[in-house]
Amino acid sequence: MFDLFLFIGLPYVAIASLVVVSFIRYKFRAFSYSSLSTQFLEDRWLAWASLPWHLGIILILLGHLLAFGLPGVWSILVSIPTFLLVVEALGIFSALLCLVSLVILLIRRFVDAKLQAVTSYLDVVVLLILLFQVLTGLAAAIHHRWGAAWAPGALGPYIRSIFLLQPDASFVKDMPPFVKLHIASAWVLIMFFPFTRLVHALSVPLHYFVRSPQKVVWNSSRSQVRFEQKIQFDNEKRLFLKAAFGAGASVALLSLGVLDKFFRYFLKQDLTNAEESHILSQKLQRLKQSADERELELERMNKDSIFVAKLSELSRTRGKYFIDYQMRPALAFSDEQGLPILISAKCTHLGCTVGQELDAQGRILCPCHISYFDIKTGQPSPGSPAKLPLPHLGWALKDEQGNLLMAQDPEGRREGSIDPSQAGKSLLFIGKRFS
Amino acid sequence: MDVRAQMSMVFHLDKCIGCHTCSVACKNIWTDRAGAEYMWWNNVETKPGTGYPALWEDQLNFKGGWVLDKNRELKLRSQDKSDFLPKMFYNPNQPGLDDYYEPWTYQYENLFDAPRGKDQPTAIPVSQITGEPIDIEAGPNWDDDLSGSPVYAENDPNFKDLTADEKKMLFSVERISMMYLPRICNHCVNPSCVAACPSGALYKRGEDGIVLVNQDKCRGWRACVTACPYKKIYYNWKTGKSEKCILCYPRVETGQAPACFHSCVGRIRYMGVLLYDAQRMVEAMKAPKEGLVESQRSVILDPGDPKVVEKALENGISPGWIESAQKSPVWKFVVEWEMALPLHPEFRTFPMLYYVPPLLPVMGRSESNIYEHDVDGIFTSIDKARLPMKYLAALLSAGNIDPVRDSMKKLLAVRVFQRSLTMGDIEPWKLAKVLRDAGLDESQAREIYKLSALPGPEDRFMIPPIQREETVEKTTCSPDKCKGNCGLGKSENPERGL
Repeated sequence: MFDLFLFIGLPYVAIASLVVVSFIRYKFRAFSYSSLSTQFLEDRWLAWASLPWHLGIILILLGHLLAFGLPGVWSILVSIPTFLLVVEALGIFSALLCLVSLVILLIRRFVDAKLQAVTSYLDVVVLLILLFQVLTGLAAAIHHRWGAAWAPGALGPYIRSIFLLQPDASFVKDMPPFVKLHIASAWVLIMFFPFTRLVHALSVPLHYFVRSPQKVVWNSSRSQVRFEQKIQFDNEKRLFLKAAFGAGASVALLSLGVLDKFFRYFLKQDLTNAEESHILSQKLQRLKQSADERELELERMNKDSIFVAKLSELSRTRGKYFIDYQMRPALAFSDEQGLPILISAKCTHLGCTVGQELDAQGRILCPCHISYFDIKTGQPSPGSPAKLPLPHLGWALKDEQGNLLMAQDPEGRREGSIDPSQAGKSLLFIGKRFS
Repeated sequence: MDVRAQMSMVFHLDKCIGCHTCSVACKNIWTDRAGAEYMWWNNVETKPGTGYPALWEDQLNFKGGWVLDKNRELKLRSQDKSDFLPKMFYNPNQPGLDDYYEPWTYQYENLFDAPRGKDQPTAIPVSQITGEPIDIEAGPNWDDDLSGSPVYAENDPNFKDLTADEKKMLFSVERISMMYLPRICNHCVNPSCVAACPSGALYKRGEDGIVLVNQDKCRGWRACVTACPYKKIYYNWKTGKSEKCILCYPRVETGQAPACFHSCVGRIRYMGVLLYDAQRMVEAMKAPKEGLVESQRSVILDPGDPKVVEKALENGISPGWIESAQKSPVWKFVVEWEMALPLHPEFRTFPMLYYVPPLLPVMGRSESNIYEHDVDGIFTSIDKARLPMKYLAALLSAGNIDPVRDSMKKLLAVRVFQRSLTMGDIEPWKLAKVLRDAGLDESQAREIYKLSALPGPEDRFMIPPIQREETVEKTTCSPDKCKGNCGLGKSENPERGL
């Protein structure tokens, strides 16, 4: 049962402690993650202890690592008698180096008053465990010779079983007591490792050998400043490129037009008759159009009244466009009594032509910026962009013989009246007098 | 051109009275705690003398700084990458407590608690390490004001080039003289401590060039202690970490001068920004020994040059810093007037603390009770000075006498100029000759006088705005709360292991 605890329970506790505590200490107690050097306080003895100790322990650990880490290679090597002899001799020599330096290290801790000021209990505990470890190792090596040859075969499976999570203590159960003690105290040492000064073994400064000689640290965001400056530069560059491209493209387009003429001039390609007649007919159409417009204008300047529509043609929901004396668009509706409503169709906001369809509320819509106007009052509905009302126009109703039946001026004052039965036949005019 | 900014310093040795107020101000703020008692981030040495730690200038013993190897490349004298492995487990070149002193205090409580007896109770000295009574054998200023005496002065490493006869003459009673040399960390541009740190804990701050130790990264290899030729890095025996002068960066960052600058009674200390070209630094440090002062000056850039300003802005140096560099008194002393010289440039670390050599103790000779002021021979008196020019040159210009003599000529010329103003007993042609020989004009002389004799704090300290006040407030802890802590902007208790 005790064996189970020493060789299965303890190893897992030790490994867990090594991994977890080392990590936590490295991460959160970085300040303490080193060995407290005492060379400053005591220099003479340390020279004889520190160097041999480290040399010896590194050699021994390397030997252990090779023997248990690469058992195949190792077994071939130790089958060479000379190699085995050298390894054993080196091992014993290293162990003796370690032993002597550990004793010196321990004694100087107790003898020097200044060292006691910086010695913690764990420092002494570590030295004692190490001493015990070296002693048991030495004893095992002397009592059970050629350990380099037999140990990997006998103990290797045990160590592998621990790491493969299939722990098997049977490999060590029948080992001699020195070997068992050596193994058990090794686990104790590993368990204590992360709590003590030994952590310095995990902070070997390998990066020192590859880094540049000087180290500069920027606290302010120098990279940020440079980044911003780069962005600004890039933006300026981009703007310039865009402008250059735009200018280039427009020059190219302009020159294309010029080039067209240019080439035609040199190629002497005259227009075909069909092309020429097409162009001429288009010109003629445009001239006719403007002649019509001029005629209309002339009419408006000369005549006292202009025919708009027959009263019967007017609708209550869909206005009829016509042009008033000022050449502005206007709309003609009929009201409930069958009398006409004439209203300017030039929006008071920005001058668009207002639509002709009347909606359910009796309003017409300017499509440009959504202004609704009531046709009865001419007022824009609240919230419309237009703020001024559309003006009404005056009108006159005449019969077919040209007799005036009824008239209304823009303010809504009426004169004359009309028989509703006659109304359908009467004609609607706008007149200079009523505008 | 890679323009960098550096907080730089000038100490005007002519004005130093050796009062140690600076050392005490520093100690009270930063090193008044366990493990740091023996540290003097600021100390004042009497020269000629052995300094602190004793004989720190002797690099054959301490092996600090840079040397040129066979291919004329810069190489650490010790503790570089190839030297680190063999000395990993034991460093034979490291100074020990004996090179400094065992810190002590006095048993003051005994004065109150002693039982009634026949004798007066006394406060005996006790070690601050062990708590045991000790015999004091050395202290931080053990040779203070005693350096004229051969006991200490003779061992001054700067005398090694002097012949036996010269030494004998120097230490004859009539010629004995001394000067004070206040020292803090030089915050070098080419720091050997940073290059030697295996853990990468030491670094130079990019913004202001202050050299600092990251206490969390320091693993206590102590390579920096060996590598720093000025021995301005100290090993804290209690925390197992290295510590050094931090140029009071929490004060500098809030626009205040460092404690030693602020408290300086003689107003000898000047602080300001220098711009330098990091690209040319290494090449400049490879110059032959005699040319080091000149090559070091050549790396420092003119902050008034529009090209430099443009490159500086490109490098992220703020306009406030550039403006401060343009007004910097350090720029005037070091480059414009060429009066301030680096301490031991032959260590090739490019120190950014410059010294105006002292005139008074050197020239202070009187003949039949009259101070010598004959203008004709005025400059010959520099060479006849009590403290040989050779000594000052060994200290401040790697043995090259010329820069020291030029600087002292200017000091003397300003003195003559000022005498002509106040006493009117110097003929104009003589004054003109003196100024011409010293390489000054009247306006420069007036300005040097103003900045040397009458500067207020706003003239001495041109401290630029810093952009990280918030960070400072986050990382530092007010000194009255965190007195026992490791005092380096770390508000954690310096505890080790379990």
